Amino acid sequence: MNKPIWASWPLALALICALYPVFPVFDEYFFRAAGRSLGEQMPTMFIFAILALALNVVVGNVGLLHLGIAAFFGIGAYVTGILTVPAYPFEVGFPIALVAGTLFAAAIGGLIGIPTLRLRGDYLALVTLGFGEVVRYTLRNLDAITAGTRGLNPVPPPKIPGIAVDWLMDYRPFYYLAFLFLVGTYLILYRLEKSKLGRAWIAIREDELAATCMGLNVTRLKLAAFVFAAGLAGMAGCLYASRMTSTVGPDAYDFNRSIFLLCCLILGGLGSRNGVLFGVFMLYGFDNILSPILDDLIQVHNGTPRPYPVTLFGSKLVTLPANMFTFSGWRLIVFGLVLILVMRYRPEGLFPSDRVKEEVHPGGTGNGGAA
Amino acid sequence: MIPMTLFAESFDWNNLTQQAVNGLTIGSLFALIALGYTMVYGIVELINFAHGDLFMLGAFLAWTILSWFGLDKSEALKAASTFTLLAPLVLAFLVVPVFCAALNYSVDRTVYKPLRNAPKLAPLVSAIGVSFVFMGVGLFWGGPQDVNFPDVIGALERKAVGEEPPTSAADKTGSDDAKKEKPKSRNLLGPNSKVELTVKHVLILGVTIPLMIALTWFVKLTNLGKAMRATAQNPTAAKLMGINTDKVIGATFAIGGMLAGFGSIVYGLTINTISYQMGFQNGLYAFTAAVLGGIGNIPGAVLGGLVIGLVRSLGSAYVGETWTSALVFVVLIVILVFRPSGLLGARIREKV
Amino acid sequence: MSPRNLLPIMVVGVVVVAGVVIPAPAARNEAVPTIKIVSSLPRSGSAKGQTDTIVDGIRLALSEIDSKVTLGGVQYQIEYKDLDDATAAAGAWTAEAETANANLARRDQDVMVYIGTYNSGAASISMPILNQAHLLMVSPANTAVGLTKPGLGERDEPKRYRPTGEINYVRVVPTDDFQGAAGAEWTKALGCKSVYILDDNEVYGKGIADLYEAHARKIGLNVLGHESIDSKAQEFSALMTKIKSKAPDMLYFGGTTQSKAGQVAKDLASYGPPGCKMMAPDGCYELAMINSAGADVLNDRFYVTFGGLTTDKLAETPGGKNFFEKYKALYGKEPAEAYALYGYESGRIAIEAIKRAGKKDRDAIRKAALSIRNFPGVTGTWSFDENGDTTQQEIFGIVVRNGKFVFVSKLTVTQK
Repeated sequence: MNKPIWASWPLALALICALYPVFPVFDEYFFRAAGRSLGEQMPTMFIFAILALALNVVVGNVGLLHLGIAAFFGIGAYVTGILTVPAYPFEVGFPIALVAGTLFAAAIGGLIGIPTLRLRGDYLALVTLGFGEVVRYTLRNLDAITAGTRGLNPVPPPKIPGIAVDWLMDYRPFYYLAFLFLVGTYLILYRLEKSKLGRAWIAIREDELAATCMGLNVTRLKLAAFVFAAGLAGMAGCLYASRMTSTVGPDAYDFNRSIFLLCCLILGGLGSRNGVLFGVFMLYGFDNILSPILDDLIQVHNGTPRPYPVTLFGSKLVTLPANMFTFSGWRLIVFGLVLILVMRYRPEGLFPSDRVKEEVHPGGTGNGGAA
Repeated sequence: MIPMTLFAESFDWNNLTQQAVNGLTIGSLFALIALGYTMVYGIVELINFAHGDLFMLGAFLAWTILSWFGLDKSEALKAASTFTLLAPLVLAFLVVPVFCAALNYSVDRTVYKPLRNAPKLAPLVSAIGVSFVFMGVGLFWGGPQDVNFPDVIGALERKAVGEEPPTSAADKTGSDDAKKEKPKSRNLLGPNSKVELTVKHVLILGVTIPLMIALTWFVKLTNLGKAMRATAQNPTAAKLMGINTDKVIGATFAIGGMLAGFGSIVYGLTINTISYQMGFQNGLYAFTAAVLGGIGNIPGAVLGGLVIGLVRSLGSAYVGETWTSALVFVVLIVILVFRPSGLLGARIREKV
Repeated sequence: MSPRNLLPIMVVGVVVVAGVVIPAPAARNEAVPTIKIVSSLPRSGSAKGQTDTIVDGIRLALSEIDSKVTLGGVQYQIEYKDLDDATAAAGAWTAEAETANANLARRDQDVMVYIGTYNSGAASISMPILNQAHLLMVSPANTAVGLTKPGLGERDEPKRYRPTGEINYVRVVPTDDFQGAAGAEWTKALGCKSVYILDDNEVYGKGIADLYEAHARKIGLNVLGHESIDSKAQEFSALMTKIKSKAPDMLYFGGTTQSKAGQVAKDLASYGPPGCKMMAPDGCYELAMINSAGADVLNDRFYVTFGGLTTDKLAETPGGKNFFEKYKALYGKEPAEAYALYGYESGRIAIEAIKRAGKKDRDAIRKAALSIRNFPGVTGTWSFDENGDTTQQEIFGIVVRNGKFVFVSKLTVTQK
């Protein structure tokens, strides 16, 4: 399968993403048809894609179950908030906040990783989960520093010297900013996977014991992955805070967020960068693009959904709740069934990496898929 | 920031005792749920994320059963006789555990069983999926808001004490006096005791402790229990000894589900609020309890549950209400750092 | 070179060609000139009961003019869209949904008025976005002071919500500064000497609890403590046991039904000090509160302050009676929640602003709304002050009796 570089689907899709805002007619038509702007939603999706790629380093490449990635995302966002909002005296620019957020999240990742990474898999999963909750409660309770549930507000948009950019009214500047960071993250991870470090990570995932016997310092390698992912997540958090123009609030970084990202990874294919991007596109798109559009359509045709009483022989049997008649009401069940069915029939995910495909279906040519 | 009431005021031992009583009671409820986690983990090494949501569905079923008898309306609750209060309760105690056991069993058959030989992450992710589906069902069942679970115990208490419901009097001063009288008569330790032990405390302990004893007896002394322990230790060897491991695993799921079913009714009767999200929070505490005690270890789960109950109530009293949940997880992380296999978990050496 | 390999690059080519060739969408369909009004309220989650009646109120206001308005000789059709700023997953408003709604309204050039939000925290997110679009926001429910009043909130409030310096936000409900103080004085009038204050640590709940505490201290109530709860916790027995040892006469809870007011009331009854009453602000004034706590727990001991009349009292005023009849004629039932009135008032303010502006222009409509004075409201004539707040700052005291909210008295603030 020696394809020329220009024949790859990921590249084509990246080009399409880069071109979408160039031709405003696309978004115009989308807006006309759906009543929502795709372009407005994409930057946030790119940010979640970076976060998912970060999680993929720990879960997909090294094989550690990490249930607290949202905590590092939140740490990045809050560091950015503290460094940029007018309520604090710092008010540094976006680049410094970005670096600080990334480094601080990475440092916290190291602090929590050093004592806990020697735990066995399930225990580690619980520690990361617990850590995520501790961070969320801390953000919530340290009212004097984090403004509690109100969130730090307003985070100013990045400044580009010499160019006046309307960040709030025009989605395109942030679209490209987030897109550049996503492409950068993707390329770095691509290089990393081919490097010595990346191969050592895979070795740990395949067989930790064997990797130890081969002389790899497993604890150090795991720590490296953990810290790296924490830093990337912190960077994504910084972008998120500037996108939302506030740190939003502690509940934006809760366990649900971590689980949501894990779902993206699993749907797309653990350890496969393209798969992860696809998973984010599917699930984020379902939540934030498809559901609202379909709910709008339901509203236009049937009015506001109301509870519906089911009667049997004239007596009221049960009242179907109103949220049964919205699309978003089915979200949890759809998500759940997707996870169950993917695990049952395609445990490698929809777009697995070649290596995982080989493991699950040994000997197969592994035809199909995107890459 | 953190109110250090511990040092700021003269120490109130009654308060401490009361908090410990409350904490241990709620902790024994966590322990009951934790047993479901720990048994399943012990035997198939699966963190059953859906267990908390199974517990939630059990609570909704109990609520629906009580509603059939009209007990969800406060007038009906007041008017009901002791019999019409007890009969639905007994029915709930019969139906809900069976429902939860059957549901847990069938989920195992349909979802987890085909994944027995898959990589470890696969059943775990499926469990998260099952948890989502259960939550979605709960969302349709009870709606997004908190649902009031009928206070049957309170009604029974009033029947036994022979007292008017405390709130019927419209006259302010009169009703105040009535209220001041009431809790004393509720106290099982006598009206003059500073520490309060109510029917609700006794109900939790009266359901959880016998169940735990029965479970210990079952696992230690029955054939099926022995088969369970054998399967947990080494599934292959157990199979070679002629144990039908599939049957054993199914039974484990059923028993775990049954315990969650009992737990859910007791929870509804004592906390009096259920919602589709309760499975997540309580499941998290129970899961934490199971890991704290050493996952797979039955006495460990009980110990873990009690520790978490205590940390919660004492944390709320002496550290601050908003920090209690964080405190539970901090305690968890610290204990795991120093005892990587939990409080009672055996240190496992990697097999080569 | 197989065709399969060429496919990706061909798709990119098609996209580029399409982008160049497809003409921009035709200008608006002028056959039916349209003005859009959107509302952004938590439509999934436990606030749904209230937002249902708010939406019904808005629709009622629109139905009165048959959703048509004539500006400068052109008849415009008013389209109304009911947006959700909550998600089923969260069960409450989320920043992402509110941001998306604000951006949607900002982007659609036909949207002239944004009715919302329900939660003050959500308003703090959408206000700066809509402010830069000069789009009028009418809130039927936000009461946090910092959103409009300088000096009462945080240091840079409300400046931070107004990047352009203009005011684009008005509200038809009384603000918390008055409500908190009125609650404190009512507590004293009820014969309580000591209070314990809890809040849910959110913009609205903590804000009003702080205002209540300040006024309670001023009028000589003994404040035994003030702390926040974790609104994700399932039960508060430990907290109530602690409060019991302090034996307050009144527990004030700054929060909403969504932040566990029902459980607080229940645990207060089971574990708290005997005979302790409970008071909460308007965030708990909804039937969902009685449903979640159970009537027995609340009867004659749960007090609510609210910037309006209960539905039963409202029906006794001439304006209210009129409103009720219209509501009943349209929906076949009386409004379940008192917030229907504010939905209706918001809708009428939106229409009035559009009419006053006399043209389909966001900035003109924004200015027109702020200039509204002596507006014939349902319960009386009122105006917008210089901050965009209603001058109708009346607070009423309500108690739960026999499982229903019952009007008790009009509250006043005597000590400033």
